Amino acid sequence: MAMRVALRRLSANFSPRLPQLSPAAQVSSRLLWRSDSPRTLSSTSVLSTALKFTEKHEWVRVEGGIGTIGISKYAQEALGDVVYCGLPEVGQRLEQLEEFGALESVKAASELYSPLAGEVTEINTELAENPGLVNKACYAEGWLIKMTIEKPEELEGLMDQAAYDTFIKSLEE
Amino acid sequence: MQGGRPVVEVVRLGLVSYREALRLQQVYVDRHRSGPAHALLLCQHPAVYTTGIRQQPYPGPLLDRLRLLGADVHRTNRGGLITFHGPGQLVCYPVLHLGSFKKSVRWYVSELEETVISVCSRLGVEASSSPLTGVWVADNKICAIGIHCGRYVTSHGLALNCNTDMSWFDHVVPCGIVGKGVTSLSAELQRDVGVEEAVPHLLDAFRDRFNCRLTDGGGSSA
Repeated sequence: MAMRVALRRLSANFSPRLPQLSPAAQVSSRLLWRSDSPRTLSSTSVLSTALKFTEKHEWVRVEGGIGTIGISKYAQEALGDVVYCGLPEVGQRLEQLEEFGALESVKAASELYSPLAGEVTEINTELAENPGLVNKACYAEGWLIKMTIEKPEELEGLMDQAAYDTFIKSLEE
Repeated sequence: MQGGRPVVEVVRLGLVSYREALRLQQVYVDRHRSGPAHALLLCQHPAVYTTGIRQQPYPGPLLDRLRLLGADVHRTNRGGLITFHGPGQLVCYPVLHLGSFKKSVRWYVSELEETVISVCSRLGVEASSSPLTGVWVADNKICAIGIHCGRYVTSHGLALNCNTDMSWFDHVVPCGIVGKGVTSLSAELQRDVGVEEAVPHLLDAFRDRFNCRLTDGGGSSA
């Protein structure tokens, strides 16, 4: 009961038009998802624009209920120069961890996995002519797809920037 | 836990259709679900042209024309453009979990190239890598490479021309690279070098390069 009250106070502090947060910003949006009434809270629109990461080196940025997906700097370095992006169709529904496409580099096709369940709303058509954007601007113009977020609680299970940085360090040991 | 090098099972498939080899690769890929189960599949294929995930350069009618030559044709999910496989070509499909090696596809492809360069060297052929993936002798490609990686498990692999009938390559732009040619160990050494002569060198080079242990299971039990 007390939790619900505390959360309502938090959500009241968020105005609909929050300025863009830098990727490294730690937003306490995680609290908004931890609740026994997820329905009520998801409607107060989480305005988190901090990146969340998967163990497969994909990132998600949420803006207005839509998630933008891309691959991390670590991932694009491990791939090499991307020459082709095989992306899904707009409207395709994806489950978390479902394969949604592939990137080709050095004659290797590497599969891409959806970080969340949802429906594809947009694909980055720039990548057809300019697949190298995935290497050059992996957090910006090299984004891959945008999708709806069917299960916001899935975001909870993803890593924030600090956790992802730690994760990468552990891989390099 | 056994310290030290990963164990890779060598599986000699002999002459198998491309379709059958795809099926067997999937069996070995699936084995990795319950823990590392690295395998090195070795085979030859009856004449077949294969394409990769970039399908746009190869519409249906083009592939039909290739079928008229008497070859099989297959679209695949590997990287790389069109290539040819046929008798006299050593085809090797390493089905590895990169978690036991290094989780970088770029590293893996580079190691495959170095492995084949070593094979060529052992046979007296000076080969090299280049910005274009594959193994080259001057401007001619002696070994094509094209792989797929899902959840760190690799499939597809490399194809080293031993005494392949090179005229099959005349009908396509191999790997989409205009202005370069293809060659084979036999062409370079001016003597007949068959797949069976190259296999032991490939296994030695692979074991050294990937720092692994090879077990020889013989034929496929799948």
